[in-house]
Amino acid sequence: MAAALEAIGLSKRFGGLQAANDVTLAVEQGEVRGLIGPNGAGKTTLVNLVTGVYQADSGDVKLAGESLIGLAMHEIARRGLVRSFQVTRLFGSLTVRENLRTAFLARRPADMDGEARIERMLDLTTLRALADTHAKKLSGGQRALLQMGCGFMVPGSCYVLDEPFSGINPVIKDAIIDMIVEVNRQAGATFLIVSHEMAIVRRLCPKVTVMMEGRVAAHGTLDEVARLPEVVAGYLGKALE
Amino acid sequence: MFSTELIVQTFISGVMIGVLYALMALGITFIYSIMRMINWAMGEFYMIGSYLQYMLVALLLGPDLWWLAIPISATGVFALGIAVQWGLLKPIFRKPPETRDDYATVVTLALLLLFRSLATGIAGPNQFTPGSNLPVIMVGPMPLAGARVAAFVFALVALALFWGVLRYTWYGLALRAASQSRVGVQTAGIDVLGIDRMAFGIGVALAGLAGALLAPVFLVFPTDGLVTTVKGFEIVVIGGLGSIPGALIAGILLGLIESFGAAFIDSAYQNIYGFLLVLAILVLRPTGLFGERGREA
Repeated sequence: MAAALEAIGLSKRFGGLQAANDVTLAVEQGEVRGLIGPNGAGKTTLVNLVTGVYQADSGDVKLAGESLIGLAMHEIARRGLVRSFQVTRLFGSLTVRENLRTAFLARRPADMDGEARIERMLDLTTLRALADTHAKKLSGGQRALLQMGCGFMVPGSCYVLDEPFSGINPVIKDAIIDMIVEVNRQAGATFLIVSHEMAIVRRLCPKVTVMMEGRVAAHGTLDEVARLPEVVAGYLGKALE
Repeated sequence: MFSTELIVQTFISGVMIGVLYALMALGITFIYSIMRMINWAMGEFYMIGSYLQYMLVALLLGPDLWWLAIPISATGVFALGIAVQWGLLKPIFRKPPETRDDYATVVTLALLLLFRSLATGIAGPNQFTPGSNLPVIMVGPMPLAGARVAAFVFALVALALFWGVLRYTWYGLALRAASQSRVGVQTAGIDVLGIDRMAFGIGVALAGLAGALLAPVFLVFPTDGLVTTVKGFEIVVIGGLGSIPGALIAGILLGLIESFGAAFIDSAYQNIYGFLLVLAILVLRPTGLFGERGREA
């Protein structure tokens, strides 16, 4: 069976900066993969290449074996590749409920009861009390939860999450982890998660990919890669954690 | 010395013309809120609406069917807007360049010149007026020109329709979402260029509608959209760029100020009173009545 999500020799240059250099990785169906690396390693560039925000200079991206090269962002989203942003992209002057509803604008499974799904997601995100509040009034953590909720409204086949835990209090972190675990277990969805939070990566991701200076430096379990000299050097001599 | 009757009549005519101005402002603000660009050719879409209305009434339908000509004129301008977005704006909005709004400025200014020249070239530098056989309507003791009352009623219906679509339909939700995050709607699987196309079409159709409605009140000539466009921009400054309630309230406010200024100070300076309000707003509340402080990231 084809991998759920594959990057094959992806490269992207911005002026003098080689932001992604021949990046190859494959995430298996149902896998939760961590993507780690120091700041500026090209993690977000890779996410943007995979989800169609940037067009790659060379290389290919495949979702369940089908190439995504040349597709617009919204076409990639419609194929079930869902992403989240490091800086949350919500609709500030829409209510929490309306934000969730936007997930149905482009895709809604025929057998899904939309309103029931919204109610369920209000529970899952613990945002029920704020259902009719404008999204711009939410705290950073609540926004992150809502963004996850929007992503999980219509089950996707593959999720690419960019720093879903940064700047969020521990209780909300746990809520987001629970949502990821549930969607992964129940729907068999695949995840690629960019994070600096090693404790959470250890908990969620059996396998991680390390990026450095635009390249893939290593694949393996977190403990394996943490011992590699080039990884230790890349984190400026600090041991991971 | 000022009779109550005069005050009431001035008030009514101010509100009536204000709602028409608000249509124009709404078009400007709606296109801006989705596409983040100013359409400088708004007045030319208004002008095209007025010419369509004149031609339909004078050559095809006759004065009795003026009410049928109105939606046809607005739809014609809508179709032209769709074509302009598809042919001239979409190619540059496809990629994310930083100078997109500069490009849009150049394109819409060029369109302004093109459409004006075409109107002069085709119909000549003449003034036309579609005949109106609407009777003068008496509101209590006050006579109101039938064409103005009809324009007011049509504008109210259009505004209610616009608001209803925006508030209660799926497409309205997509439009509101796109006005807040273009990247966000794409992540939700929506083709933002398709949203642009509708937004531009609807925005210019509002201008075309105003042109068609005001054709029998003001005259039809190649630069007939100019004054209304300037008022549209005044309203946008007063109400706040991107704000729909702002456009409505500021439109009526402007209509009232002009109307009272003309009645009680001097009608020769009718077009100047609005500017005084704009100046006051810029000094006291630069974001406009309902505008939000912008932040570029």
